[in-house]
Amino acid sequence: MELKRRTFVKLGLAVSAATGLGLPTFNAFAAKKGKSKVKAGQWMATTCQGCTTWCPAEVFVQDGRATKVRGNQLSKQNEGILCPKSHIGLQELYDPDRVKVPMKRTNPKKGRGVDPKFIPISWDEALGTIADKMMELRKAGKPEQFMVNRGRYSYMRDTIYAALPKVFGSPNGISHSAICAEAEKFGSYYTEGYWGYRDYDLDNTKYLLIWGADPLSSNRMIPATIKRFGKVLDNATVAVVDPRMNTSAAKAHEWLPVIPGTDGALAVAVAHTLLTEGLWYKKFVGDFTGGKNLFKKGLKLDEKSFKEVHTNGVIKWWNEELKDKDANWAAKICGISADQIKGVARGMGKAAPNVIVWLGPGACMHVRGAYSAMAIHALNGLVGSTDHKGGPFQYVKQPVAKLPKYSKYQDKLAKKHSKMKKIDQRGFKNLPALKKGKSGGGVVTSNLCQGMLEKNPNEIKVAIGYMNNFVFSSAGTKDWEEAFANLPFFAHITTNASEMTQFADIVLPSTITQFEKLGYVKTKANGYSAVTLIQPVVKPFWDVRMDETEIIFDLSVKLKERGFSNLYDYFTKEFKDPETGKKPKNGVEFTEINLKIQMAPMWDGKKKVGGDTFKSWADFRKKGMWNSDMFKFGKKWGKFKTKTKKFEFYSVTLKKALEGHAKKHKTSVDNIMKVTNYTARGEKCFIPHYEPPYQHGTSEKYPFKFVDYKSKLNREGRSANTSWYQEFKHVDIGDVGWNDVLKLNPVDAKKLGVKDGDNLKIESVTGSYELEAKLWEGIRPGSVTKCYGQGHWAYGNIAAEDYEGAVARGVNNNEIMPADIERLSGSAARNGGFTAVQISKA
Amino acid sequence: MGQYSMVIDLNKCSGCGACALACKTENNTQDRRDGQSFNWADYQHEEKGTFPNIDYVSRPVLCNHCSDAACINVCPETPKAMFKTKNGATLFNEKRCIGCARCQKACPYSKKEVKQGEWSVISMNDEDEKVYPEYRKKKALIKGCTSSGAEVAKKAGVTPPMKTKYTHPDFTAARRAGVIEKCTFCHHRVENGMEPYCVVSCPSGARTFGDATKSSSKVAKLLKKYKASVLKPEEKTVPNVHYIRSFKAKS
Repeated sequence: MELKRRTFVKLGLAVSAATGLGLPTFNAFAAKKGKSKVKAGQWMATTCQGCTTWCPAEVFVQDGRATKVRGNQLSKQNEGILCPKSHIGLQELYDPDRVKVPMKRTNPKKGRGVDPKFIPISWDEALGTIADKMMELRKAGKPEQFMVNRGRYSYMRDTIYAALPKVFGSPNGISHSAICAEAEKFGSYYTEGYWGYRDYDLDNTKYLLIWGADPLSSNRMIPATIKRFGKVLDNATVAVVDPRMNTSAAKAHEWLPVIPGTDGALAVAVAHTLLTEGLWYKKFVGDFTGGKNLFKKGLKLDEKSFKEVHTNGVIKWWNEELKDKDANWAAKICGISADQIKGVARGMGKAAPNVIVWLGPGACMHVRGAYSAMAIHALNGLVGSTDHKGGPFQYVKQPVAKLPKYSKYQDKLAKKHSKMKKIDQRGFKNLPALKKGKSGGGVVTSNLCQGMLEKNPNEIKVAIGYMNNFVFSSAGTKDWEEAFANLPFFAHITTNASEMTQFADIVLPSTITQFEKLGYVKTKANGYSAVTLIQPVVKPFWDVRMDETEIIFDLSVKLKERGFSNLYDYFTKEFKDPETGKKPKNGVEFTEINLKIQMAPMWDGKKKVGGDTFKSWADFRKKGMWNSDMFKFGKKWGKFKTKTKKFEFYSVTLKKALEGHAKKHKTSVDNIMKVTNYTARGEKCFIPHYEPPYQHGTSEKYPFKFVDYKSKLNREGRSANTSWYQEFKHVDIGDVGWNDVLKLNPVDAKKLGVKDGDNLKIESVTGSYELEAKLWEGIRPGSVTKCYGQGHWAYGNIAAEDYEGAVARGVNNNEIMPADIERLSGSAARNGGFTAVQISKA
Repeated sequence: MGQYSMVIDLNKCSGCGACALACKTENNTQDRRDGQSFNWADYQHEEKGTFPNIDYVSRPVLCNHCSDAACINVCPETPKAMFKTKNGATLFNEKRCIGCARCQKACPYSKKEVKQGEWSVISMNDEDEKVYPEYRKKKALIKGCTSSGAEVAKKAGVTPPMKTKYTHPDFTAARRAGVIEKCTFCHHRVENGMEPYCVVSCPSGARTFGDATKSSSKVAKLLKKYKASVLKPEEKTVPNVHYIRSFKAKS
């Protein structure tokens, strides 16, 4: 039939038929024959929050619609370019499945696959209901039973995440942060005193060793890395450690497909080689007093024989861990040949100090990953590359002003109860979560569901979550579903009816960051720090409000109407426009004043803060961002924020932290090691060392290791409901568009009798799932791998196979993986082969 | 007569997807359906070797704007709907196109029907199908609470709602049913002094565009400096999209 019609058209009616169809745009340009024209529009500054690079961005706006994106042309952090994720934001903005009005649940039964039977309600009713529920807790004298959950955030978070719970009287602001990569920060903190993500001087490096990351796809400086990678390949040696051939590995000179979880052994052997072959950087580490290299396999050394310069404990490290652990030892454990290990160490030694060891989550986000993080980052110390040209470094501090204090508005009840123990059980004996050296200093997101289920330290009765999707984004999803099904009242601030939303009693539709929200984030990459504004470049089509500030201001009004005015008073008495002195009357005004206060040091011209300068607030908003001056290397040497001020191979800082935690629980450090699933005892607890991986499921029953990774197109897990994400899924090496394939090596496939496209059964300790097989040489035999991002059973018509039936498209990796924790940092376990699986033909 | 050409440096390219996605935002191309990809820019993945020695290439692909273009040769219309500009870009005239799809059949880089994972330079807007069906759907995910495709389009006033508006004498910014479509080297931009959108959107700077017949152009210089290759040279269509250097580092 198709052919017939075309033949008919061909028979002379072509032109008249086409124009006769009366397409207005077609006729419109026919009139202006001969000249093409790009219609007027304006590039407007904002920020892409598709990942945590948090790029200064611009959006092209035509007739009040967002049509295209690019990097902020003033940005030194991304130099005006963006990665693929940014474009997909447009489909999130115009997603047909967006929640357009507040909703209320009419089915009291909660659970996966249970229709909440949402109906539309007014903002007034929605916020009033939440305020009623909150007031019940105040009346009962138990405000600690209130909780705020944070997901994707901006630095406007203080209103919703700090002021709201603290003024109300709850300690429970629980963020998503520890499902990200706290274990990574542990590595740099307990060696060089830096709890944060490193920046990297790719322009000047001579050896780039990427470890458990794919900075071309994810991690925290994507555009800058993509831009430079070709040059790095020309100017330096690039080696990549990853059980999966990620994009960096596919392009690199060397790929080290390590057995999952054994990264620590590899790192220790590289260190051993650097020392025995005399390749460490003497200006940073120091040298033997006699001038002769005494590092010899198996030989214990006298600490006095070596004079260290900027480091602490290299001989202790050698004696306790390194002396016997050469490349041959490691090869048997980690699956990388001794020659390759030695080759990498020699390459690094030769390039020292212009070496980057780029530590990523893959190497350390597992049950015993903290010491792998230390061992890998410690290599930057051995080659003296940290804070050196061509190496990893920290960042320039952003000059953001503090918000007015809220303590005055905390009543007696709030003051007392906001200091109670937190629901994620951080700081409990088996959860040291030693952020910045403090017992219970960091969040343990993965343990939130346990705290809620155990009602320990207390029950949570009322919660507000914003832009979080814990029941999807955290491993062990069944536990999360149970915890939130049992939560008596949950309000969800969201753009889409996500998995989390299915457990909500009230749903508040949120603006979309990057296009509709006002706020800011602090970021850095490429040697420059930035403060970049998130701006409402288009007017929302729907009845949505800003998550972190506007909604909370509006909620404070409702609380005031019910007799609790403290929050409203704080917002309306303390927040003053720095220019006009005006106080906020509504949530929108509050948002801008709030932002203006925090941004003041950059635009008010009162104090020299370095970096870009602006004529006025309006000028700052137009440009949309502040660039710092360039980072200066070498200032940290001798001034590291560790206990010894040195780069610690023997971590006095960790010793103090662990001893502090042990003392709090009236026990020994060895006992803490035991309850946190570590094998080290004694002095070894304070040095970077190899820990055999901890695995869920026996290798007999579950012979394969599951490798999780991130997509080039994941926008913090929020892009699966866009057709562009699904269509271009194949840019993730080995993946297939509109699919969610489990990749296994052809050698394993042959043994199992599996062919490409077969239906596979994958079984872990959490259950059994079905996926399509993809035979792929890029995964080492014995491991199987799948990208995180698919497996949505809610969210929208594209993300889910069938929203109404709660049928998932693919399988969420977090269902396959059980909930577990790297307890010293509080980091969620995701990598290191901690999930063992069985594979068979379905 | 010049010759617009593109040189893609595979050493710089990481196969990230930005060019292909940016193209969709600039040219308002539809979602893949019914065997048509509608991706004017896409990728071809090539993999050789066995673990752990694998040679992988992610190759960005687009219309090759061939000097001896099969698509033009077979176009039955007079004047031809598929034609060359004076600078050697291969364009289509939407008014003259009768949707016979002979160009799609003749082009060595196109397929009449693509399977998942396959790409085709030329895509066909079936005359029986409405374009952008996802923005015509009226059913909401949650009745009264979420929007629908049709509602978004209505609010936006255009389809697709993120449509980048431009005009061109030969083709529309968002095509109609019953015509073919393909990459135009962003002719509407180039004519107005801008580079193709994939070129400016590539975060690695892998793409260079210009007139290869001018020795001073960046493309001519790159073609002189490096040994370039084209896709399917055996078809003798003389493609003008060139690939230089290698995706994987040479050890």
